[in-house]
Amino acid sequence: MAYCPKRLLSIVIVILTIMLNLAPALARDWPQIIAAARGQTVYFNGWGGSEVINRYISWAAGQVNQRYGITVKHVKVADIGDVVSRILAEKSGGRTSGGSVDLMWINGENFHAMKDNGLLLPPYTQMFPNYRLVDTENKVSTLFDFTVPVDNQESPWGMAQLVFLYDSEVVNDPPSTMAELLEFCKDHKGRFSYPAPPDFYGTTFIKQALLELTGERTLLYKPVDIGKFDQVTAPLWVFLDALHPHLWRGGKAQPKSAPEMKRLLADREIFISLSFNPAEASNAIATGELPESIRTYVHEGGTIGNTHFLAIPFNSSAQEGAMVLADFLLSPEAQARKSDPSIWGDPTVLALAKLSPEQRTLFDTIPLGVATLSPEELGPVILEPHASWVTAIEKEWLRRYSK
Amino acid sequence: MSGRRNRLKIFPALTLAVFLLPILVGLLFTWAPAFGYLSAAGSNRFSLEPFATLLHHPSLPGALRSTFISGIGASLMSLGLALWIATTLYGSRLWSTIELSLAPLLSLPHAAFAIGFSFLIAPSGWLIRSVSPFPSGFTYPPDWTTNGDPWAISLTLTMLFKETPFLLLMIFSGLSRLDVRRTIWVGRSLGYHRLRIWTRLIIPQLYPMLRLPLLAVLAYSLSVVDLAYIIGPSLPPTLAVLIDRWFHDPDISSRFVGAAGALLLLLVTLACIGSALVLEYLISKIASRKILDGRRKSPFELLVGSGSFYALILLGVNVLSLTALMLWSVAHSWRFPHFLPARFSFSNWSAALSHLLEPVSVSALAAFLSCLLAIILVVGCFENEQNLARSRIDSISQRSLWIIYLPLLIPQISFLFGIQVLLIIFNLEGSWGTLIWIHLVFVLPYVFLTLANTYRSYDQRYSYVGTSLGARPVRSFFRVKLIMLTKPILFSMAVGFGVSIAQYLPTLYVGAGRFATITTETVSLASGSDRRVMAVYALSQFLLALTGFLTAIVLPAIMFRNRRAMQN
Repeated sequence: MAYCPKRLLSIVIVILTIMLNLAPALARDWPQIIAAARGQTVYFNGWGGSEVINRYISWAAGQVNQRYGITVKHVKVADIGDVVSRILAEKSGGRTSGGSVDLMWINGENFHAMKDNGLLLPPYTQMFPNYRLVDTENKVSTLFDFTVPVDNQESPWGMAQLVFLYDSEVVNDPPSTMAELLEFCKDHKGRFSYPAPPDFYGTTFIKQALLELTGERTLLYKPVDIGKFDQVTAPLWVFLDALHPHLWRGGKAQPKSAPEMKRLLADREIFISLSFNPAEASNAIATGELPESIRTYVHEGGTIGNTHFLAIPFNSSAQEGAMVLADFLLSPEAQARKSDPSIWGDPTVLALAKLSPEQRTLFDTIPLGVATLSPEELGPVILEPHASWVTAIEKEWLRRYSK
Repeated sequence: MSGRRNRLKIFPALTLAVFLLPILVGLLFTWAPAFGYLSAAGSNRFSLEPFATLLHHPSLPGALRSTFISGIGASLMSLGLALWIATTLYGSRLWSTIELSLAPLLSLPHAAFAIGFSFLIAPSGWLIRSVSPFPSGFTYPPDWTTNGDPWAISLTLTMLFKETPFLLLMIFSGLSRLDVRRTIWVGRSLGYHRLRIWTRLIIPQLYPMLRLPLLAVLAYSLSVVDLAYIIGPSLPPTLAVLIDRWFHDPDISSRFVGAAGALLLLLVTLACIGSALVLEYLISKIASRKILDGRRKSPFELLVGSGSFYALILLGVNVLSLTALMLWSVAHSWRFPHFLPARFSFSNWSAALSHLLEPVSVSALAAFLSCLLAIILVVGCFENEQNLARSRIDSISQRSLWIIYLPLLIPQISFLFGIQVLLIIFNLEGSWGTLIWIHLVFVLPYVFLTLANTYRSYDQRYSYVGTSLGARPVRSFFRVKLIMLTKPILFSMAVGFGVSIAQYLPTLYVGAGRFATITTETVSLASGSDRRVMAVYALSQFLLALTGFLTAIVLPAIMFRNRRAMQN
């Protein structure tokens, strides 16, 4: 599609009009929102592939029902893209209110697409009482989702950082750079792989490799410059060309998702896998899904980190209820429970320094988990490159490896 | 009589209305983005760019290759296997065993079977575990390419094992209309070998009844998404998976390519169906010349024994996949190279039980209502057909009834997006009525298919006896015909029940997230990593479908316990 400033202008005008129309409705104080939320049914759409997470959401649903009289229906989907599609179809069909989705679990490219296409409710998270506890100073990704400004159109829910899982029974000295990972693969042929892009995790692994290998890191935080694409990404393709023959199944097949990688790790087909949740290994050991010998490591110089969010679509039919639920999920109580590795183990978005002493004890008592790295060991977080790079890199990757 | 005939006339019209209009409109709405129209993305100009993008996509050639191999391979092989089993085993004890196992075989959902089968053949799977570490010497799984292979062989085999039982069911139902026993006597007495009797006498009569089921299998295999995702190739995946991915890609402009892909998949499917019909014509041309050559012997006689071997493999693979699922559902941890789980636990079931109640009830209700409606429409159509035949009237709507098979011959993905948009415009999505309607669209053709042969071969003289004894036709229909046909009617309803339970994409697209069925829950869990929970949900899905079949078997047995002639 051609870039058309006139069309952009008209979209901006439409968005502004919607914002102005909704402004009176939103300019209410929090108690009014809580009052309006009572009796509402909130359809919370999110990935439903993990019983651990499903159970946590079902706990939260019980809590907001007790406290605020809101009914939460958890709509479990295999891919949140299906839900984006549905909202898009609703917009195509002229449904500007009474939409079927009230709150959705989202980030990155999906957020970018929804924001661009005017599928999100105008800014609202600034009204949440618990939003001021969010660590926006140190956790920059709570404000910039894959470099796209969040603009209070989605509520931070949890932190993610790329970590590698390895089987300590077979791997004594896990790699700490991409070059070492390549050496490992040469020594242990077929014992590592990464999900095939456009799977989110596969793309993340490639971005991590690119960030580690390229000499032009700063360029990656600006919109993609096609003229410099080859130069910036050349080291990446050299690395992948060398890596692929030593991957699981000789690189002729790749896992389709991170969950499949986790299964392969449990089955011992591979010795190194990856995750976006630093506590996933501990949690999976506790539930018996992964062997007790699984441990976590990160690369020197840090790994990619981001935030996942909760967003309210523009046509939600239970906006107030969705806000109250999103705010509850931000509360120290809900965030502490979520970060407990025996419950879920998803790191908090809150700043512990902003909490009261009682609230802080909720977090202090949480065990780290047997396979989880301490915050110091996790090392620095590298921010996601600009979203436009992803599209270009995925395209080139498909051209090279998915013929 | 004429009043009843008039009333019956609405059945074919009603049945067609259920299907034709929504599907055609659904197709058109799905195609719109392929030509550049997607108002939500602010695009309202005609453009062929989506097709250009599609045709230049690096993954397209590989995806088409996998789609052709698995789609055509699976359909031809399952037809061959089903016919070979029938030819070599008809009348044997194994044949009766197969007949008895059809209900559980058909109840095992595709995705559940794929998960089990994948675990069976994976390098870390059950077969390798059974020989590890001794005598294979594997303390770690070998780096072999078995499941998810780039040539789509494992995907083809999965569909072969899953579609053969369906074609066998159609063969059983087709054979019930033919006088097989006497055909075999006659053939034998003339000295024809078993193979010749089947290829020269029975299959030519049977095939017309298998044509539609075969084409349905072909269309399904070319467009299946969930199986291809579980056990299909990854670099690149099949065309259907690519399209599915485009339809939910974060980049909204991918919808344009997705729509173009959906249209391409439809064309591919139609081309394959066309080729199958041409192939059938050519084979029948060649065969009809040979049919009278009088040859008694066949060069393949020595291979007849292989029929039981293949049948045992078919049954064995299904039993093993099911058993693997059962073990996973009660496993705490089950690691390579352990042949059995090291620790058992019922917590997977006890934790899931409270969450299962709602999706199981929603599935059961939707399935029951849709197959109840389906059976009323189907029986109405058959009655109308028999009336017309009696009065030698040619009716357009009756002749157009083949249209109800459209949902089986058109890839779901090529019209569901359009139906979703349509329902949203009319504010109809997410309601019970719509859910049952979309299930009916897929349930009805299967009910039609499974009931057609028995219903059409019903001996009308029983009903005449009823009328001649003074009953009005309606009474004779309800008290004689319907009662005598209870068994096949219930069985076809059970097939429809199973079809409704298995619906994923249709539920997803029209349900607006309002209906959590056992299948939507299973599929969302299948996108996760925990095989134990997946197994619990997949088995619940299986048990629900099996309940339908058991009801269809047990209910007539109870109803007719005092009528010996109705026992069989």
